[in-house]
Amino acid sequence: MDLFITGAGWITPLGESLGTVWDAILAGTPAPARELPGPPGGKPHFAATIPPSLVDSVARNPRLRRSSNISLFAASAALSALRAAGLDPAKPGKLALISAVCDGGVIYTRKFYDQIVRQGSGSPLLFPETVYNAPASHVAALLGLDGITYTLVGDASAALAATAVGIDLLTSRQADHCLILAAQETDWILCEAYCHWRLSTPGQSISIGSNRGALIADGAAAIVLSREKSPCRLHAVTDGVPFFRQSEASASLAAALRTLPASVPSRVIASANGSFTDHAERTATENAYGPLPTVFPKISLGDAFGAGALMQIICAMESLRRDPSGTILVPVIGLNHQAAAALVSPI
Amino acid sequence: MQPNQPAVAIVAAGIISPLGRGLEATARSLRDGVDCVTPVTAFDVASARCHTAAHVPGTWIDDLRDTRKRRRLHPASLMMIAAMRELRAQDPGFAPQHFIIGATGGGMTFGEAFYRSLAKPADRRRAGWLANYNPQKPLLDAQEDAGFRIPGAIIANACASGANAIGHAFELIRSGRHDAILCGGYDCISELVFRGFDSLQASTPEKIRPFDAARTGLVLGEGAALVALENAARARARGAQILGCVTGYGISTDTHHITQPHPSGIGPRLAIERALGSANCPAESIDYINAHGTATTFNDATEGLAISQLFGNRVPVSSTKSMMGHALGGAGAIEAVFSLIAIREGFIPPNINFMNCDPAWDLSIVANQSRPATLRRVLTNSFGFGGANAALVIESAAGAN
Repeated sequence: MDLFITGAGWITPLGESLGTVWDAILAGTPAPARELPGPPGGKPHFAATIPPSLVDSVARNPRLRRSSNISLFAASAALSALRAAGLDPAKPGKLALISAVCDGGVIYTRKFYDQIVRQGSGSPLLFPETVYNAPASHVAALLGLDGITYTLVGDASAALAATAVGIDLLTSRQADHCLILAAQETDWILCEAYCHWRLSTPGQSISIGSNRGALIADGAAAIVLSREKSPCRLHAVTDGVPFFRQSEASASLAAALRTLPASVPSRVIASANGSFTDHAERTATENAYGPLPTVFPKISLGDAFGAGALMQIICAMESLRRDPSGTILVPVIGLNHQAAAALVSPI
Repeated sequence: MQPNQPAVAIVAAGIISPLGRGLEATARSLRDGVDCVTPVTAFDVASARCHTAAHVPGTWIDDLRDTRKRRRLHPASLMMIAAMRELRAQDPGFAPQHFIIGATGGGMTFGEAFYRSLAKPADRRRAGWLANYNPQKPLLDAQEDAGFRIPGAIIANACASGANAIGHAFELIRSGRHDAILCGGYDCISELVFRGFDSLQASTPEKIRPFDAARTGLVLGEGAALVALENAARARARGAQILGCVTGYGISTDTHHITQPHPSGIGPRLAIERALGSANCPAESIDYINAHGTATTFNDATEGLAISQLFGNRVPVSSTKSMMGHALGGAGAIEAVFSLIAIREGFIPPNINFMNCDPAWDLSIVANQSRPATLRRVLTNSFGFGGANAALVIESAAGAN
């Protein structure tokens, strides 16, 4: 069954406009890094954050008044995607919501646990926002959905797993449209954890191939998948192929690529983020297809882990909007679970 | 079920919970109505409202700490490995194409230790390992132990996660997209989540008494459960034993509030109605309801109302959380396996600590003692934060025909 991306929306450290942010990516504009307050006595961390003013309007919604940044980002991207798809957020029809997160509401989680450590108890206002499905719950409430809502958690590959679930639901006609949503918020504790894994950079920018680590970023992305024709076709999404250690990541991506339709893509929107994934991804894609023109969006967007893969798909859409020729490969190597890939093509 | 859709068989299962490690031990405890709730000693609960939980004793998974690597694994990983090994031993020929798990917290206690370690420079060396708290880690550890390398997905729909994982796997097989899927759920007690429920005053300082007029809240539990789902025709063709089957799945989203269900019970009712519709069976054909039954004011009020409206007082109801507490993301999978055990062993597990039914509804609670029964079809409910609701219909092996 042919499935199409009928709408997309994102919110990134560079803004919300699909076209403007895509231009910045093509120009190689670096992500705007900001210093985050670190643990007492600890080293500072840098992350690409979203200015609060960008989510002012959604933050005024009563349901989102107390929510964490991740839910505000998710709601903003979701509403943009629905509008772009021509769906009325007040009457979205038989819409399933599949959300992907990597670290969830980490700011409130850290604050809540900090209260426990310091005071022996935490605020009941914070705890509900720590659950992984809080963003999906809020977005479902904004849209009045009473049907299928799933939240998938994992590394960056979870967003492609969520897309695959959307494909399953559309193919089996359990839904007429699927809103695939992924969001990420930054916090110093996240930077600290990924630094311990040597996956995030202590610096303010990333260098592809350097293996110094990613610049962690705020962000959310959403796409609407549908059986209705649109100029952008989601040609294929592979299953995730797990890897138990980083040295296996390239082989996992290669295995995923072997399950794609046997045609050579015209270009690549890479998941490379300055970590071990860069070499693994380049090796797998070059072995499969030879050298291809490649765009590295995370130089400009930072790495919003949970949302990164959907941002790649939106980049592919924007690329096709400018040049509707060929098929675009979206490879994704997560940091600690799976590799997967998608193909996006013009109709 | 449509005439051309394949039946979905359960060909193997594995479980570890406070009620036991393995199906046999679990069946004994369920039948005996064992109360597994004990004082919490893993962290300081002196200032908390609730002081108890139902733990999986560490000694039950000690045998799995037999290599340097496994000694360092989080208990969540070890519980998943325990459940996986039991399942694999039952059906070594089961070859899953997918692995779908429900979980909410991952190795949260590692996350907590990571946070605390940041304040102590001496502990910082360990911090890199402690950062391995992601929910995908136990999934990977269990796969590696079993020698699988298959696509995985972790559904984190709060306390409905485990049921969602089984339900989604069921749909994937029934729609013909896959033939065999390994699915289930796990969760481990952590201080953060314990304190979270305490902060909401959802956990109780007393006994957990689901559906009782005097109920005062939940206690937390933990565990892992896995089921091997397979296209029944394919399972029969390879000579696999069919333990039971999944015949229905319903999911709904209640947007009323992030932690409280709509008082009308519409969320649970929709999930149950959709599960019955999916199984193409009338409410009268359900022989037992394994309720979500957390013993919180709001859950039991809405679930009790939904069950009353749809089933009257004809169907026996119990909440096994009365014995082992609430295993959150693992609960749906654990209770699906309990339902399978009840069908195979011919008894209804009890709702212990029960005194008087809440007069707001008229339910046939299986109070305090298990009851022998021939069960053909069981409904098991799971509801969670964020308005995530799921219900599964589990049937005897005859349902696979």
